[in-house]
Amino acid sequence: MELDTDVPMEDVEDLKQAETGSGPDASPHNNTKKSDLNPSTVGQLDEWIDKLSKCEPLSETDVKKLCDMAIDVLQFEENVQPVQVPVTICGDVHGQFHDLIELFKIGGPCPDTNYLFMGDYVDRGYYSVETVSYLVCMKVRYPNRITILRGNHESRQITQVYGFYDECLRKYGSATVWKLFTDLFDYFPITALVDNKVFCLHGGLSPMIETIDQVRELNRIQEVPHEGPMCDLLWSDPDDRGGWGISPRGAGFTFGQDISEQFNHTNDLSLIARAHQLVMEGFSWSHQESVVTIFSAPNYCYRCGNQAAIMEVDEQHNRQFLQYDPSVRPGEPTVTRKTPDYFL
Amino acid sequence: MSEAHVPVKRVVSPADLEKWIDSDTYNNLLQFVIDLQDSVTGLTNDSEVEISETTKKLVSVLETVDGYIDKHPVVVEKDISRFGKIEFRDFYDEVSIESKNFLKSLIYPDTPSSSASNVYFNESWGNRTRIDYGSGHELNFICFLLCLEKIGKLQKSDFAAVILKVFTKYMAVMRRIQKIYWLEPAGSHGVWGLDDYHFLPFLFGSSQLATHPFMKPKSIHNVELVEMYHSKYMYFECINFINSIKTLPKNQDDRLSIRWHSPMLDDISSAKSWQKIKEGMIKMYKVEVLGKLPIIQHFMFGTLIVCPDGIEEHHEHEEDDCGHVHTQEAVNTWGDCCGIKIPSAIAASESLKLQEMQHQHHKPVPFD
Repeated sequence: MELDTDVPMEDVEDLKQAETGSGPDASPHNNTKKSDLNPSTVGQLDEWIDKLSKCEPLSETDVKKLCDMAIDVLQFEENVQPVQVPVTICGDVHGQFHDLIELFKIGGPCPDTNYLFMGDYVDRGYYSVETVSYLVCMKVRYPNRITILRGNHESRQITQVYGFYDECLRKYGSATVWKLFTDLFDYFPITALVDNKVFCLHGGLSPMIETIDQVRELNRIQEVPHEGPMCDLLWSDPDDRGGWGISPRGAGFTFGQDISEQFNHTNDLSLIARAHQLVMEGFSWSHQESVVTIFSAPNYCYRCGNQAAIMEVDEQHNRQFLQYDPSVRPGEPTVTRKTPDYFL
Repeated sequence: MSEAHVPVKRVVSPADLEKWIDSDTYNNLLQFVIDLQDSVTGLTNDSEVEISETTKKLVSVLETVDGYIDKHPVVVEKDISRFGKIEFRDFYDEVSIESKNFLKSLIYPDTPSSSASNVYFNESWGNRTRIDYGSGHELNFICFLLCLEKIGKLQKSDFAAVILKVFTKYMAVMRRIQKIYWLEPAGSHGVWGLDDYHFLPFLFGSSQLATHPFMKPKSIHNVELVEMYHSKYMYFECINFINSIKTLPKNQDDRLSIRWHSPMLDDISSAKSWQKIKEGMIKMYKVEVLGKLPIIQHFMFGTLIVCPDGIEEHHEHEEDDCGHVHTQEAVNTWGDCCGIKIPSAIAASESLKLQEMQHQHHKPVPFD
């Protein structure tokens, strides 16, 4: 590992971790290319993070730069991205920027706390642009401290229906930023494996996937397909009925306890952690604690009345759930009024 | 009624959609909407307009439907779910069964082609399975009116009354249905859509205001004006409805900015004039409703509203529970109709009110 003149804090910590880690495989990115953050890049990223923390969107030019940098990082991540403990695992955010800031208050600031997000950063809420920009900035700034997986909403087709496309058009006057981000989404890893024991993904299992190695063989750099294993991983849901079932969503499958237990047994896992479904307490166990659902958008869509939660997994693999309520919104939106083209 | 006359869904692919947009049927429907919009330029809901026998009967039909809501009240349950209330299905079923009779006796003779328009009428109240409602269901009500025009029951001279008396009554019934059964918004763009449920009251309503001497598009932000005029102007009725639903429950008097919950309406309020909004609503309707596959794949064609040439037939049994086709050939639009269901803002505001009544405590909950 090369040391730059201006060493970012994370690298120092990584060194410490590598020293105390259980072996060479303990490095969370032993298969990833070393990201070469030079001082000016770090300065640039910190500036963007500052701006985004105030919920101010980046300029289109900066989004372009950011996405290019992010592709450089994400393309070297794996379909099954290895992640170390301790880590805090989070579910859907859906453009609820102020609640994301609340999440970091509850869970501790990044990079002091390691984070794993399981997708669905955009759509539905008011601040998808700011939310996804912020998370991608953090990813590029602290690549080994935060993992961002792909959710079913990180897709061109879905974002055109549920708001992210409209929001980009509205905030930037063109679809360029939407294009940049949806092109970037293709590079997001689709699953993560925490210390070889907790399998994390947005949706759930696929009848075409029996082993984690089969996930590693997929070509993930593409739009989320309408069917097949990659689609299922992002769309499926656990169900009370055993076996595989037709998903009422029209994509993915439902899978029963027998399927989850078999998958965990085959792959020597202790748990499947996933998001994708609204759960009123913010987290919910299923299949006799072989699957957990985590949802991190409190009062989803500003109307569902649910709590949000995140799950901390410590070095001993103890799990702790932290729940939180919606943050209080500021008075007025920061976006300036603009007449839509239809009405000019 | 023979099978051949029951309107069916036909559009499944982008190629079909293009044929639809190029068709006489499309132009005919669009012109009907434009004519209806023009008919109420400068008029208020209580303007004196010519009211024909058919118009009167239509209003009474809608009153009948309104009565069915009372027959199927929501059973107060322990369930804290904010999703749509299942009693809606009983209401829906009763309308579907009874409409055959009351439409037949009130409006048109029992010919196969005219009774086929029942289907449009029945589809106007929302989706029975998903307990949701959107601009596609609203479009069915317009199709029902178009059928009446085609069989000669409505003349152009009726149009103003059709909007000011019949459509406003339809809106009033829909508002009750939405409020009582907590209908979910179909295919919601989150905060970025025009409205959770409706399009046409904005389209017709902007025409009412197009010639107004002093009311400007920004008037929607003036709560006093909105309250004063919501019964006279459809556009203001919509704003008033949104204001009443999207509030902080414990602080009903703290009006939260329309900028927060409806950025699209806020943006439109910066248009130069209501005339611009009136014209813009037609342009937007063409793109966002008549030109959208997720909506038009549910559009039904029959003997009165005929399917454009060249669109292949498919078999209804290919449809799944979502009510449309999920096939390889058809573009999969799962995101549009089969995505995550979300409850309505009405459900949110009502359930919070209930909670407060029960617990007398409150945590700050924002809204959209």
